Amino acid sequence: MFKKLIAESAAKSPWLFHINAGSCNGCDIELVSVLTPRYDAERLGFKLAGSPRHADIVVVTGPVTTQSLPRVLRAISQVPEPRCIVTMGSCPQSGNVFRGSYSVAGPLSKYVHVDVDVAGCAPKPEAVIDGLALATKILKEKRGR
Amino acid sequence: MSMLSYQHFPIYAIMSLFLGAFLVVMLGKNRAVRNALAFISVSASLGFLLALVKRVMIDGEVIAYWMGGRVPAGGYAIGIALEVDALSLFFGLLIAVAVFVSCVYSFSYMSHDDNVREYYTLFLMLAGGVMGLVLSGDLFNMFIMVEILTFAAVALTAFRNTAAGALEAAFKYLVVGCMGSTCILVGTVMLYAQAHTLNFAQLSALIAGDMNTATKVAFALLFIGFSTKAFIVPFHPLAADAHGAAPASISVLISGVLTKSGLYGIIRLTYFLFQSMGLGSMQFLLVFVGSLSMFICVTMALAQHDFKRLLAFHSISQIGYVLTAAGLCTAMGISAGLYHAMNHTIFKGLLFLAAGAVLHQTGTTDLGRLGGLSKRMPHTTVLFLIGAFSISGIPPFNGFASKWMIYQATYMKAVESGNIGFLLVTIIALVTSVLTLASFVKVSQSVFFGRLPAEFENVKEVPFGMRFAMGIFALLCVVTGLFPNLVTNYLTKPAAAAVFSVGNYIDSMMGAGYAESVMAAPPAAPVITYTELGCWDPVSWLLILAIALLAVTIVALAGKYDRVSLRPAATDAKHDLFFGGEESVYSQVGGGDLFWGFKHNWRHYFGFMHDLHSGIVNDYALWALVALALALLFSLIVL
Amino acid sequence: MSIILSALQYLGYILIFPGFLFCFLGGMLLCGIDRKIVAKMQKRVGPPVLQPFYDFFKLCGKETIVPAAAAKTTFLMAPLVGLAALVVIQLFIPVFHFSAFSGMADIIVILYLLLIPALSIIIGGAASGSPYAGVGLSREMVTVIACELPLVLVLLAVAKTVGSALGTGLCFSLTEIAAYQAANGSLILRASMIPAALAFLLVIPGETGNHPFDAAEAETEICEGMLAEYSGPPLAVYKLSHAIKMLTLTSLFVALFLGGIGGKIVNILALLGLTGGAAGALGVLLGAVVLFLLCALITIVCISLVHAATARLKIEQIFKYYWTVVSALALMSLVLAWYGL
Repeated sequence: MFKKLIAESAAKSPWLFHINAGSCNGCDIELVSVLTPRYDAERLGFKLAGSPRHADIVVVTGPVTTQSLPRVLRAISQVPEPRCIVTMGSCPQSGNVFRGSYSVAGPLSKYVHVDVDVAGCAPKPEAVIDGLALATKILKEKRGR
Repeated sequence: MSMLSYQHFPIYAIMSLFLGAFLVVMLGKNRAVRNALAFISVSASLGFLLALVKRVMIDGEVIAYWMGGRVPAGGYAIGIALEVDALSLFFGLLIAVAVFVSCVYSFSYMSHDDNVREYYTLFLMLAGGVMGLVLSGDLFNMFIMVEILTFAAVALTAFRNTAAGALEAAFKYLVVGCMGSTCILVGTVMLYAQAHTLNFAQLSALIAGDMNTATKVAFALLFIGFSTKAFIVPFHPLAADAHGAAPASISVLISGVLTKSGLYGIIRLTYFLFQSMGLGSMQFLLVFVGSLSMFICVTMALAQHDFKRLLAFHSISQIGYVLTAAGLCTAMGISAGLYHAMNHTIFKGLLFLAAGAVLHQTGTTDLGRLGGLSKRMPHTTVLFLIGAFSISGIPPFNGFASKWMIYQATYMKAVESGNIGFLLVTIIALVTSVLTLASFVKVSQSVFFGRLPAEFENVKEVPFGMRFAMGIFALLCVVTGLFPNLVTNYLTKPAAAAVFSVGNYIDSMMGAGYAESVMAAPPAAPVITYTELGCWDPVSWLLILAIALLAVTIVALAGKYDRVSLRPAATDAKHDLFFGGEESVYSQVGGGDLFWGFKHNWRHYFGFMHDLHSGIVNDYALWALVALALALLFSLIVL
Repeated sequence: MSIILSALQYLGYILIFPGFLFCFLGGMLLCGIDRKIVAKMQKRVGPPVLQPFYDFFKLCGKETIVPAAAAKTTFLMAPLVGLAALVVIQLFIPVFHFSAFSGMADIIVILYLLLIPALSIIIGGAASGSPYAGVGLSREMVTVIACELPLVLVLLAVAKTVGSALGTGLCFSLTEIAAYQAANGSLILRASMIPAALAFLLVIPGETGNHPFDAAEAETEICEGMLAEYSGPPLAVYKLSHAIKMLTLTSLFVALFLGGIGGKIVNILALLGLTGGAAGALGVLLGAVVLFLLCALITIVCISLVHAATARLKIEQIFKYYWTVVSALALMSLVLAWYGL
């Protein structure tokens, strides 16, 4: 019974940890807008956590520059299992306009398993919520296993 | 009287310490012999006093002992006398226990020092001096003992004279301590000139009813003299320096034993010799000085960066509690104050020993350099935490029980006397307590928790002997906290009763009816009863907490709480501390000044205090003079 | 036989009411209500009221990472000790005329027992070795110092008021304070006690570490301070402790200032013609429900509304605020009570 309860809860209480991997700040603002009264992701239980130890979903924005890469990986590794990694915007997915730059180490999927990609420059809040909702489903599956 | 008669026990308790000092210096070349001699003499001293507990504490007997059988003749007490009532025995027991534990601790702690033979000699001299002071029934002998203990303490403060500041601390202590001793001597002489006797009981009978300018001056001198021994404000900077420099086992004696001798002197002076505690102004003096010590020293402690200096200031802060409670002149106040005095000896001893353990293993007591020792010294950490919780008054440890009584006593006094000033004292006492907690949080964070500096990677736990000594104190912390009724019934209430039984004290020494014949109306011995206003049942509380904790733990373990992810042998990023993705060695975040939020609001006060505590001995001598002048003014106007 | 029965009864008190089960459900619901109300104030839909339960169970299912720098045993045990201590405090707070363990702890003891949960989180944070925890615990300690003075003043004012009314001069016993109010009406109805009640209401968010007094756990600046390294079940226990602390402080407020309602409950039961054991059981049940509703109301007033309307204060501002404004309010009450007004 508790296992089921925990699995159910895992989908209902996903806490986010946001990592900026060299983003232009566009996606960062959009992520915060998801929590504003208009979109109110908290009604689904989303909450921004201050420390990766508390997080379930890691949201990475930015093209993953060479400077940020080891820090991003370290922070991601510090998130306890089960966890989900969501890239937000086109940058961490493909490098976007920064692709091929000497200072860009991305895409992120080269280094860690990415669960959900939310494309867009910047993605609309609706798309972000959709991506996060998908991530919660994955979380529940991971928990159920 | 046979040699084994119990009347001899007080003098045996004193002499075993002095004899030990003598024998150690004669025969103590070999380490084992030296330790055995010291151990035997401190245990014997403790044993003799314990043998008196039933007679003095429970049966209420007062032991009057004339050395060489020179009893008073012609109405004058010429012989040297010891007088042990419940108050003396109470302090004597405190001293004997502290000396015993400190001695056990010294065996391991001092093993790396040179001149250990001289150390034990001075150690036993100091112990004997304090023991003699509290068991003496003669004002001049009290002065002699004060001199012995002062010089032993000065020498021991400078014992590790290669350490920075040791000689300076000893010098400061010597200068101001000698001023105090001189005050006591001059005060004694003036009383002798007036009453033609040095016997304490007879003086008590003669002086109180016959006050003149000379006796008033004598009061001020004696009060200041004993204040320097108790290190109360304005003599607190000496304690900080002395504790910072002295070996930890000596710090235990200075804070647990030496300050008690000062307190004992003040209580004897005000309640017995001058019998002036009925005066509101006298109560005001003690409560005011006590509250001032309590508050100033706790704030000074918050500003310290050295483990032992911090403890030293707390020590005086707790003495402030005792003095405040004693100054209330109520049965509950005295009982609470004595209870706290006892607890202070125990928990402060434990804390100093823990500081000594840290110093012994790491070579430093600088809070800025230490950290993370809990992983290397787990037992010391637990013992330290017990001491820290006790001094901060966290239930169920002993500090809480006595502080709780002090709050009640002060608040009750406020209600009874209708004086709103005592209410302020309650509030100061409560706030001081939480500030104490704050400063021990700082110590535990910066010494035992937090990050372990690389230089202390190979630190080991202290030897068993030192942990054993700390364990005794820790056990006492818990036991005296859990059974407050036993402590009050068998220790503090008899002692409090003795404080109010001046007539009995005089008669025991000088023969029945003497007090009545000399004093117009000798104070009658009151019945010591008081009802505690609150309710606190530590044993049941602990039981409930244990059940609750058990329930929580069972549920937690059933839920696989202990299945944790530990770092594997190889280092990995996952188990590093989170620092924004950086490696934590690059961390620039830290509690540089842990109580900035508090200090910022009090910055003018702290700045003032900083300027005031210049560290120059001339200034402190000046403070002593000013205090003496104020005390003279006070006694001439008020008494 | 009777020993076993009474042991079972006490075990029931500890485990069910007013112990663990009540604390767990009550605290979590209060927390949920708080989050919902804050969302409503911000024109959001907000999380479901049961959200804290989801958070709790989710955290229970997460991995517990013990950092390499942490002192493992302390790190793991500190949350449990804090939780147990909080539940024990709740046992001592009378639910109107019903008190599970009467005559065991008075308000000064409660004042000190309240330090233990704060201490457990401080020690736990210190044991994690995180530098953020170092900053967090210093702020937490300063917050505790800040709250202590007004809390002391409030408690002394109540002790004096009830004591002089009872003729004993002083009254530190919570049970007696509750009984006095049940007989003579709530203390909050007295003019002299209104500033104290107000001060206590302002102390509650500080003691629980709620917005705007949450500098110690500022998640955006110092990564939730002392909790920075906690994950999984220990974190869940801390979240639970935080929720229970809200319940404890609000029910302490009810016990100190709104105890008069206990008398009303007895009257209602008498009107219904209930006597004996049935009345006792029903009274306790009714008391529990009323207590919870009052706690919820107080939570909304002093935690949720304040949260939604203010921005986080800096630590020295918190200190200054409590030692000036709030303490002045409490002191006003104390002086009024002193002169028998």
